[in-house]
Amino acid sequence: MSDRLLRVNAYTTLDLVDGRARGHEFEAEAPGVVNVTAPREDPEHVTLEVELDNTAIDDLAAHADEIDLSPAQARTLAEALESTADRVEAAQSDDTDGL
Amino acid sequence: MPTDVENWKSEVYGNEIRDHLFEFAEQGFDSIPDDERDAWFERFKWWGLYHQRNGQEGYFMMRIGTPNGVLEPGQLRTVGEIADEYARGPGVNPIFGDAYADFTTRQSIQLHWIELSDVPAIFEKLEENGLSTQQACGDSWRNIVGNPVAGKDGQEVIDAWPVISDLNERFKGNDDHSNLPRKWKVSVTGSADGSGQGDINDLAFEPAYKAVGDESEDTVGFNVRVGGGLARNEPRLARDIDVWVPPEQVPDVAGGLSALFRDYGDREDRYNARVKFLVDEWGAEKVRETLQEEYVDFELETAGRDVREEYTYNAGEGERNDLIGVHGQKNGENFVGLNVLVGRMGADDVLELADLAEEYGSGEVRLSQRQNVIVTDVPDDALDEFLDEPLLEHYSPSPSPFMRGSVACTGTEFCSLSIVETKNRQVRFARWLKANVDLPDDVDEFHIHLSGCTASCAQPQIADVSLRGMKTRKDGDPVEALDVGLGGGLGENPQFARWVTQRVPVDEVPGAIANLIETFADEREEGESFRAFVARHDDDELDAFVDPEETDYEDPMMHNTKRTWYPYAENDSMEDAPSPPADD
Repeated sequence: MSDRLLRVNAYTTLDLVDGRARGHEFEAEAPGVVNVTAPREDPEHVTLEVELDNTAIDDLAAHADEIDLSPAQARTLAEALESTADRVEAAQSDDTDGL
Repeated sequence: MPTDVENWKSEVYGNEIRDHLFEFAEQGFDSIPDDERDAWFERFKWWGLYHQRNGQEGYFMMRIGTPNGVLEPGQLRTVGEIADEYARGPGVNPIFGDAYADFTTRQSIQLHWIELSDVPAIFEKLEENGLSTQQACGDSWRNIVGNPVAGKDGQEVIDAWPVISDLNERFKGNDDHSNLPRKWKVSVTGSADGSGQGDINDLAFEPAYKAVGDESEDTVGFNVRVGGGLARNEPRLARDIDVWVPPEQVPDVAGGLSALFRDYGDREDRYNARVKFLVDEWGAEKVRETLQEEYVDFELETAGRDVREEYTYNAGEGERNDLIGVHGQKNGENFVGLNVLVGRMGADDVLELADLAEEYGSGEVRLSQRQNVIVTDVPDDALDEFLDEPLLEHYSPSPSPFMRGSVACTGTEFCSLSIVETKNRQVRFARWLKANVDLPDDVDEFHIHLSGCTASCAQPQIADVSLRGMKTRKDGDPVEALDVGLGGGLGENPQFARWVTQRVPVDEVPGAIANLIETFADEREEGESFRAFVARHDDDELDAFVDPEETDYEDPMMHNTKRTWYPYAENDSMEDAPSPPADD
């Protein structure tokens, strides 16, 4: 396999997430790395980076996906993550209460 | 637009940082304004000080740059005394105690838990004894490396020590070269063993022969390579720029290339700043042309006949993979390489070794790029008695391959970047492997390098087994893990490790290495080195050979040590972190 493309250190946003790569002809579970970054000076966008472990996926060449988000898009995404996280937590809490 | 770091550097950088540093030391750590801390911590690096990680507020790592790893008589004692007096903090290491020195992969020394208020006194003591932290870190000429026994090595082609001393004199504190786009790592090697590891440096001078002018006889000088380095998932081997230089012109060529980097390196993006990326962009030919046209005023010679085919250091086979053991010096005396497991030595042991070096040798000690120490100038008639010293039972001249082959970076104990524990873990790994795993009889070297993140301070890509910090989940819990690479090394034809297995839980790594070695022993061709064995298998085959497995090895640091203030503290959570040290 090739080396990781994303740098992984203590500043990496998430060094362990569960993910999957899915195509029309394949699906593979894989752990991965997620990072949010921007250039240190004069940044024009937020970059969201995702790399699933290459050893877990036979059907794809080693790669990372990088998405450039405007600040507004990044906030939209953050709000969606927050509100969905609230919903998931609430559901989990309901489950616990119901026990 | 320049980066934040470039802006900070344009305001205050280089020698002048010292005055500010001393002022803060006088007024106390808290006198550094909160909104200026990032800037000052960045600048302090130029004087060899790194602020330690989150949770260790107010404590610094101090790096002492010892050119070519040479500690002149008395200097090791100075290091030991400083470590003993100042390198103590609120955290105590369960293996190494509470005051120790780390010998690094670039032949320097690192001390931890240094308080800002002690820096002036430490600098005074270092300087009285000919030592310095200047440019040990930061964007400038770093500690120059090479074959540590330069000038003494019975196998050397040319004595590189006068060249290194000269470069160190000229480029330490030199305002024309004190603010470069990024770090500048230089290697100058005069031996034919490759122990200067030039291939992984920004600038490398390697021994080479050349018939110059009307001379029919070869002269010994250096071939020049530029743009090597391991960091940031972008390892490069230094590129041959087709230049041979006689020893007396090394400073001109080195200064020319440093100035070229200063002027043409990328100051917009620190991730793209190292000279290796400039060489990628330009190619070696343009580097040579620009050097010739703009930076030197004499005609450059083309490359001479090198001695790379003789390189053995970290080459995967042959003799002298490291400099451990007893070796002959040119003058008939001996140098004795001692294994310092993961490069860390308690202050008491440092002082005792300084005594032994005086008693049996000249008092001089040298440091290798494999984190080991070398006692030089031991006469034949003192050798047996020296080798019988009890201290050498621990710092052995003939250690197990797993002990002498171990290299580890600082890790989550102190480093802001690392995501796993490293030094103590590598000690545990080495001890377990020594007790439980046998290499084939004819294999006496096996290098395992453990780095806590992709910054590559333990040089993981040039080991037989490369380990690099990651995380995984085990029994539902997140645990520290390691990516595994195989088959890296230097030598005539250097090769970076191939990363074949990802996220092995740390407690299964010794079992994985044991299984790998068992397969190697069973399936190798006669006399085949591990590196050659790796080279003839594909990645999937190698991944299968790694085969992680739980054994009786237990890892007490499986949890997320980067979230502790100090991994070995009884109460290790961030809330229990100590306050910054009170000024005294």
